[in-house]
Amino acid sequence: MVFVWLTAFFLVVALIVLVIYQLMCLADLEFDYINPFDSSSRINKVVMPEFVLQALLSVLFLLSGHWAMFLLSLPLVYYNYTLYQRRQHLVDVTEIFNQLGREKKRRLFKIVSLIVLLFLSLFWLSGSV
Amino acid sequence: MQPPLGNERPPPPGRPVSAFVPGAAVPPPPFAAGGPFARPPQSGATAPAFGAAPPAAMGGFRGPPPSQGGPFGAGPPPQGPFTTSAPPSQGPFASAPPSQGLFASAPPSQGPFATAPPSQSPFTSPPPSQVPFAAGPPPTGPFAATPAPFRPPPSSLAQPQSPTGGALPPPPTYARPTQGYYTGAPPANPQFPMSRPAFQQPVQTMPPPPMGPAATFGNQAAYAGPPVGGTLQSLVEDFQSLALSSAPGSLDPGVDVKGLPRPLDGDEEPVKLMEAYPLNCHPRYFRLTTHVIPASQSLVSRWHLPLGAVVHPLAESPDGEEVPVINFGSAGVIRCRRCRTYINPYATFADSGRKWRCNLCTLLNDVPGEYFCALDASGRRYDIDQRPELSKGTVEFVAPTEYMVRPPMPPSYFFLIDVSVSAVRSGLLQVVAKTIKSCLDELPGFPRTQIGFLTFDSTLHFHNFKSSLSQPQMMVVADLDDVFLPLPDDLLVNLVDSRHVVESFLDSLPNMFHDNVNVESALGPALKAAFMVMSQIGGKLLVFQSTLPSLGIGRLRLRGDDVRAYGTDKEHTLRVPEDPFYKQMAAEFTKNQIAVDIFSFSEKYSDIASLGSLAKYTGGQVYHYPSFQAPTHGDKLKLELNRDLTRETAWESVMRIRCGKGVRFTTYHGHFMLRSTDLLALPAVDSDKAFAMQLSLEETLMTTQTVYFQVALLYTSSSGERRIRVHTAAAPVVTDLSEMYCQADTGAIVSLLGRIAVENSLSDKLDSVRQQLQLKLVRSLKEYRNLYVVQHRIGGRLIFPESLRFLPLYILAICKSLALRGGYADVSLDERCAAGFSMMILPVNRLLNFIYPSLYRVDEVLTMEPNKIDASLKRLPLTFQCLDTGGLYLLDDGFTFLVWLGRMLPPELVNNILGLSLANFPDLSKIQLRESDNELSRNFMKILRTLREKDPSYHQLCRVVRQGEQPREGYLLLSNLVEDQMAGTSSYVDWILQIHRQTQS
Repeated sequence: MVFVWLTAFFLVVALIVLVIYQLMCLADLEFDYINPFDSSSRINKVVMPEFVLQALLSVLFLLSGHWAMFLLSLPLVYYNYTLYQRRQHLVDVTEIFNQLGREKKRRLFKIVSLIVLLFLSLFWLSGSV
Repeated sequence: MQPPLGNERPPPPGRPVSAFVPGAAVPPPPFAAGGPFARPPQSGATAPAFGAAPPAAMGGFRGPPPSQGGPFGAGPPPQGPFTTSAPPSQGPFASAPPSQGLFASAPPSQGPFATAPPSQSPFTSPPPSQVPFAAGPPPTGPFAATPAPFRPPPSSLAQPQSPTGGALPPPPTYARPTQGYYTGAPPANPQFPMSRPAFQQPVQTMPPPPMGPAATFGNQAAYAGPPVGGTLQSLVEDFQSLALSSAPGSLDPGVDVKGLPRPLDGDEEPVKLMEAYPLNCHPRYFRLTTHVIPASQSLVSRWHLPLGAVVHPLAESPDGEEVPVINFGSAGVIRCRRCRTYINPYATFADSGRKWRCNLCTLLNDVPGEYFCALDASGRRYDIDQRPELSKGTVEFVAPTEYMVRPPMPPSYFFLIDVSVSAVRSGLLQVVAKTIKSCLDELPGFPRTQIGFLTFDSTLHFHNFKSSLSQPQMMVVADLDDVFLPLPDDLLVNLVDSRHVVESFLDSLPNMFHDNVNVESALGPALKAAFMVMSQIGGKLLVFQSTLPSLGIGRLRLRGDDVRAYGTDKEHTLRVPEDPFYKQMAAEFTKNQIAVDIFSFSEKYSDIASLGSLAKYTGGQVYHYPSFQAPTHGDKLKLELNRDLTRETAWESVMRIRCGKGVRFTTYHGHFMLRSTDLLALPAVDSDKAFAMQLSLEETLMTTQTVYFQVALLYTSSSGERRIRVHTAAAPVVTDLSEMYCQADTGAIVSLLGRIAVENSLSDKLDSVRQQLQLKLVRSLKEYRNLYVVQHRIGGRLIFPESLRFLPLYILAICKSLALRGGYADVSLDERCAAGFSMMILPVNRLLNFIYPSLYRVDEVLTMEPNKIDASLKRLPLTFQCLDTGGLYLLDDGFTFLVWLGRMLPPELVNNILGLSLANFPDLSKIQLRESDNELSRNFMKILRTLREKDPSYHQLCRVVRQGEQPREGYLLLSNLVEDQMAGTSSYVDWILQIHRQTQS
């Protein structure tokens, strides 16, 4: 059980790192430290890994039978899935400045929910140890 | 520094008057002295009374210049004041119809005028009531013809809104100047589908009105500026109004159709700004939607129209006004250390010339030693006259090497030509090859110009133009998945070195693919290949595409005929690129300084929405020739391609707009790519492209008096010089909403609104886009109404500022424009998208002409002497009622000429012009107008030439349609008559009524 929580913990940390990285790219773009071409290619590089990790996390919760945690992480997976379905998961380099606000909001929202997950898994981790 | 506007004259309480309103500055016309208003301003001179004054009284006053030329020299008063107080832009619709209304509806001895004692009238010599008729034709003509029901009781026009109307001074004072209009003979057909002259622009021979619909048209014109002092005058200047109350019991909507404001003079550049701000750049380069900056957020939120600017950085300047070029030499370009603003006329010098203060950020900068000059007593530099950058709003600096990331690129042109069967069959290849060949001498940048070609169908054909070859070599690459270049160089070559190879290629191009039957088109791989060829240098990529791309990456599918998508949430997806490949390609192109121009020729759907995004993000342009056939469209393509290749182009450019503290440009609209939040990357830009942007306030309260804007375009000229074109403008900060309305610039507002609407249509339904436009209009007029409605008690009137008098019509025209009109069946998807792309780049005046095309009656001027023709061409309102069955009309929207032949047009006239007889029912869609050997035809072609010369950016294709020829007449002409009711859209009158109702609620 400790192993599950430990994996979950690291997964969530990795997710948070990826999302923060994307946010940093967006912020850099906003303050003109990098150009939109670099910014969007950097972001787009990590979008799919992020989605995969998110899915893995959910599967992990599901398989280990932590229903509550699974349900908590499900909305994010579903949200990612719909973005992917609508082909909006990648940032559009040509319109990136017009979408800047929206993209940032999306990722801030993700980060908040990931942090909730992080604390919960920390709690369970300490409980199971 | 300029003082804030409009403070020269103490404004009457609560109503600031702007200096821009010429009426304010005009000395009272002579008849002011005896005028009824010379009476002490008693109750009759207060607001309500004026609001209810017979409209003609005001309207007649707005005499346009033609009154000057009236043959009735004895009649009109000295004309001086009229010519000065009425700017030429004043349409006669504002002036003439009201007076018609007056005479039609209020016979001299009736109505409220009767209550005015004649003794008070200054007109002792001619009894006022007789003046107009004395000068005019016998009243029996038009007035007798006026149908009685249309003559509203005089009370309906004056009384309901004004309890004090009875005390109103007699109007004849104002009626006097109008007599100039009554010089013509009565029209042949006084009934409503009236003949042209009554609609004409500066009316010289205005016939009497055929009828006065309701005479309730009122014009409290800003420009009217009647000779009354004080309160009353400022009242007149505040706003214009249209009375919309109908006479009880009549079916007439109560609107004077002919009196509605119409922009028949086209765009009005706010040149008056130049007088107030002589150091500003000319408005052709930079126009704010309202030439003041609101001082607070709350003011911005009450201004419901967009706040922003239209920038046309490379607008063609007329001869004699060339932009001065300045080379600072070793001093380097003088810029502010902090905000990087370029030195400009608004910068001030201090510390006896050793420092200069940046006008944008107020930082004190050092003046370089080489640039130093002593100051005179008033703080001006002695050398100010020798330095255009200190006295002119528009200058061009030669940029030193710090402004280059690489040596200035040579102009380079790469042609990507689809040679599949449809291109061959339509004769496209001949036209393109011939045109390019004829342009070779004129391509800019001799002798550095680079050129290259790539043809493609289901394979890619590279052409080797190595200068040592005598014939070009063709190499075919069939691998579309992994495109590679068969040669490392010699695909893009120097034109001078390889001229003979290029010429022999162009000569053989049509024959080379003469019997090609390949229907496929691998545009995506071809774009990739072109990118590989061009990526080192950059330049311009011209894509000639005649089918839907069907092979390789970026292939597109037919999706335009999906009726079901319309009206649903998915509707907009048809108007955005289907495949992200095109956007990615566009980004790559921009990164490598490649601009893409799309020439699309397909008969069927070719997904302009996807192809156009290549142009959209690279500063390019979309040309659309639906069902191209060389015999008919050849000329248009030839001239437009010629223009595209030979116009002065700025290469590898970036544009930034700096503005003073407190404001910031937030959203940009046009064809470019944003490199950072405020830097527009433009691989190529030329005089045919304008950009629009919206600004927002950063602070809740502005602390400065004036806000400065500086547009800087850094580019490489075709001659290989790095240059910076700088336009500087200043705008005052105001705290008053009415001042904002006063300085509003309809052209810029419409341009910006149109662009926003087109962009919204990419993410929303057409229907809701149109509703948003209407909502903006209603909100702004409502806000304006709230400013005045209480103090003036103008119940039944639609009031609007003088500056925005054309806005309702223009917004209606945007809603009916090709890009936004109707739904699925009204416009083909490709045409809609192509029009949308055009609207995103058109400069203000061309956009206005595109959405509200010019309509001329031509048959009457054809017989005139050739040199008089230009002056006698008058624009007509865009309504079917203007079209006389016995006339020949010309509609010009900047892209197409439409020649409309009335049913009763004399056959010999048609014969002379078209060179054939209509009796044989020829196919008019294939007709080509050629000059034939008779005077009518020569004159007609001369008119077309003159109109084309006015705007060289596009060549108007001439199409002929005869009256009643459905369905061509419907979609060519009738859908362009924006003032008429079309399926599902309102007519101008209905629109005004609708807006009026909504502003009241």
